[in-house]
Amino acid sequence: MRTFDQGADGVLILGCHIGECHYETGNHRAAKRLPILKALMSYAGLEPERLRLDWVSASEGERFSRIANEFVETVRALGPIKWRVPSGEAAILTQQFAAIRGDVPLVEQSCAVKTDAIRAKARELLNNGVVGYVIGYEVGLRGRTRPSFANTPEEANKLVWNPDCTYNLTTYLGKKRRPAVKGIEQPKPVAVVVKPCDSRAINVLLAENQFTREQVYIIGVTCEGTQHDPGVLQARCQVCNERVPVVYDTLIGDPPPQHEAKPSPVVLKVAELEQKTPAERMEFWLSQFDRCIRCYACRQACPMCNCPVCLYERDDSLWIGMGINMNEKRAFHLGRAYHLAGRCVGCNECERACPMNIPISLLNMKMAQEIEAAFSFRAGLKPVPSPVVTVLSGEYKEG
Amino acid sequence: MNFITQAQLTEWLDGIAHQQTLIAPYKMADILLYQPVQSSLMIAWDSIRPVMSAKEFFFPPSERLLLIEKGAAGIKLTETLPKGRQVIFGARPCDAHGIKVLDALFLDKPPVDLYYASRRANTTIIGLACKEMGSSCFCTSVGGAPDDASNMDVMLYPAEGGYAVEAVTEKGRSLIPDSLYTIDNRQRPAFNFISNIVNPQSINWPAHFDDEYWARTSERCLSCRACAYVCPTCRCFSVRDEFLPVEADGCNPGCAQYERIRGWDSCEGENYRRTAGGHRPRAEKSQRLRNRYFCKFYFYPEQYGLGNASACTGCGRCVDICPVNVDITEVITDLAR
Repeated sequence: MRTFDQGADGVLILGCHIGECHYETGNHRAAKRLPILKALMSYAGLEPERLRLDWVSASEGERFSRIANEFVETVRALGPIKWRVPSGEAAILTQQFAAIRGDVPLVEQSCAVKTDAIRAKARELLNNGVVGYVIGYEVGLRGRTRPSFANTPEEANKLVWNPDCTYNLTTYLGKKRRPAVKGIEQPKPVAVVVKPCDSRAINVLLAENQFTREQVYIIGVTCEGTQHDPGVLQARCQVCNERVPVVYDTLIGDPPPQHEAKPSPVVLKVAELEQKTPAERMEFWLSQFDRCIRCYACRQACPMCNCPVCLYERDDSLWIGMGINMNEKRAFHLGRAYHLAGRCVGCNECERACPMNIPISLLNMKMAQEIEAAFSFRAGLKPVPSPVVTVLSGEYKEG
Repeated sequence: MNFITQAQLTEWLDGIAHQQTLIAPYKMADILLYQPVQSSLMIAWDSIRPVMSAKEFFFPPSERLLLIEKGAAGIKLTETLPKGRQVIFGARPCDAHGIKVLDALFLDKPPVDLYYASRRANTTIIGLACKEMGSSCFCTSVGGAPDDASNMDVMLYPAEGGYAVEAVTEKGRSLIPDSLYTIDNRQRPAFNFISNIVNPQSINWPAHFDDEYWARTSERCLSCRACAYVCPTCRCFSVRDEFLPVEADGCNPGCAQYERIRGWDSCEGENYRRTAGGHRPRAEKSQRLRNRYFCKFYFYPEQYGLGNASACTGCGRCVDICPVNVDITEVITDLAR
């Protein structure tokens, strides 16, 4: 990706034949990852022929020269690349993007009952000293629902459940964003309120050793969809028929009925983009990324973005500069989407947190589709890592 | 007071857009931003204050400070001072107040920031009074007002059928063609606004430095930088030299280009003020969030002589934008209690 950012017209990646590499598994990984990256780059507007992966051993001079010549001819036929955006290029104000909104009215929720049950459970856990604190939801002074941390049984009474409980609280379980408990020497487990989509994030985090199962007490809540704007079901919830969290220690609420699944506006938009030419897709994405201010709200809201230092914020500018210009913005968003492939649970907190309405879900959905097509895998259904980071299927043993 | 009609205003703005860059509220993807516009047709009239402040047109998200070329003849440094005149139309009083706060650092005392100074000199601000205060606005609590013209070049007050016009500075006066004025004896519309939270300068901030409050308030903070980047007065930046891929009209073969780049930074970021060796003086997010409020209401006013004024303009942008509802008005109210 960096090579294209720096102006290359094409990138040819050659490795040893499968099974013949003395690094053993590097080419297996490349074979799994490259198609995913190629799909992403093509989706962002690169002509896919400009990126090629092939296998050549050290003794195959003739094959090497044939592939290299073929690739050069292919790239030459495509002409000069237009990937890198010249510095000082005027802002692109053309293609607009209307925010994806749902329109399914919510079924009356038993919010009061669930609120009472969450408070009772939180009080019990804090009274018995089972957990250090409980992460749930509260309503702020302006009436906005927001994350809340109950450290004492009394504070448990501020916790609520309502249709605006949209935040994925598992982001606070990662080492970076987990607040320390004052005055407690031995860190206790942390309790967290989760919806079904959030619970899948817990499975991914468990698979990636962010914490152990014993360190988290999961208060699962049955869900019939959340709404940020009153009366409007969030886009991710419209097609979701997960009603019960996939992992929990205690379950609150009865499983609500399934609603009639509607075609996801996100899936429809992905399909629409795929019908366009690479140049049109590039224009679409540049017009979206143009608004990015690199505030990193998307990354910070994401439970999966838990690298100690983000690759795109390193001091050495190896992968991306610190400028808030088009090339850097795009590299960040595409890089983040690629790093989330097979890990993103689709909670869509990144898009909700974005102050600039960048349709990040369109990137994550595309990656999820590619992963499902290639590996029949959906993130977080079980505590197993993404197939993109493992080497061979069946290599990872549960437990 | 002088008065112009809506038609006169659009004609005037279109004239400006032909001669210099016209920046105005523009709606894209359901959000309102200040953007360069080619014609008054693109302007979002009847808009509230945009999501981002007008700060970026004086202190851009990132800018080149220096072009560095290394070739056979040695190293060549080229200054890259911004050129080109611009007019910001529709700036709100909180935006203009913010520019005054930025002036205290970049302009009022040496060393003067030449990049900021040249943008400031090349920019004319046509302000627009707010008809009402938004739900998160509190400018009247920090010494501002929705009809405050004090930091504008030209000020427009919405009135029946058009706008009352006030030329605030000579720069503003020279932008208005004489033909535009309609002599009119109407008074400019009166505005009446109430202050909804206490004046944060009435709080004894140093007394709250070690409060447990900061740890509790920052629990849900995500350490993103949205609040700082939408803020009209946050002005932390970072500077770095970076390699440039050689561009078309760049240097000759064998030459390498670098740029010294300055970009926005924020005390909310996890890497804020990290020093060589990895030490982070504000490693905890509670320390970083506290810094944000102390900077607005204590550090900056003390250091740059704002007197009893705060470095917050009460625009409420950070309140609206925070993904987890960390609310500056709530903090002020809590501490004043």
